[in-house]
Amino acid sequence: MPATVTKRAQRKSARKPKFQADLAPVEDRIVRSLKEELQLSSNSDFMAEAVALFRWAVAERKRGHKIVSESTTGEREVLVLPRLERVAPEAVLPYVNITWNEKELENLMTLALAEPAQPTEALVRAMRG
Amino acid sequence: MGVIVRRLEEDDVVENFDCKDEALNNYLKKHAWSNQQKISIGVTYVVVDELACKTVLGYFTLATSAIPRDSFPKKHVRGLPAYHLPLILLARLAVDHRFEGKGLGRLLLREAFRISVSVSEQVGCRCIITDAYRHKVAWYAKYGFIPLEGGGEDKPTQRMFLDIRTLKAALKA
Repeated sequence: MPATVTKRAQRKSARKPKFQADLAPVEDRIVRSLKEELQLSSNSDFMAEAVALFRWAVAERKRGHKIVSESTTGEREVLVLPRLERVAPEAVLPYVNITWNEKELENLMTLALAEPAQPTEALVRAMRG
Repeated sequence: MGVIVRRLEEDDVVENFDCKDEALNNYLKKHAWSNQQKISIGVTYVVVDELACKTVLGYFTLATSAIPRDSFPKKHVRGLPAYHLPLILLARLAVDHRFEGKGLGRLLLREAFRISVSVSEQVGCRCIITDAYRHKVAWYAKYGFIPLEGGGEDKPTQRMFLDIRTLKAALKA
């Protein structure tokens, strides 16, 4: 392989992915204030710290641990973040029995064996929302 | 109004919840917590205002179930894998009547769908089933639920089906 091609390939593989975000003015102020408090000079450093924190929180919830803030007087507050709750093991649901009649089962089977219905517009909008 | 959806907690304020349906009110007030924590037959998720995060404005309850392979009509069993058909039951969904028209029902349904997709990836499930009040059938149908005929017109509810694959397609759309 010619040397120029190799160098170009190496440069390409070393290129770091870019991250761009649209922030509302209030969010922008929060980010700036947090950077100042945490003495972080760049957005990249801020992002790296935020990812590390989020990664830790996800790992803890995945293990079934709760994330708790404790005041100096011992009052505790549990962090409940809906997105984090999705990775919690207790999200796996309990089991119940349902009564079916033959006609319902026949209809269910017909639907389950067929190609799935296309999502409705309302469903797509709801899932995006 | 900023709202969040999360699991029901023991100290949530449910006493004033009123969706104008006694059975759904009673379930939340008397059974939801014990069904979730003590006998584990359903997990209830609630929507609360960010600023009054203990007052329940709406809820839904989920559980898993399965249909034994041998209970299907004979003509369908042939060619099926030798397993039960796993599914998720959307057992209840209600919004306090004072907060109707704010999109909370849709928000709850979306969260139920997201949990269902997540569960289907963790433990496997084929569809979501709900028994909808007949006057709510059109609302569920709007989001893709299909009525399963044969339940009897005299029953107050209509059993409805939504394929998990349809939900996954909606997520990708």
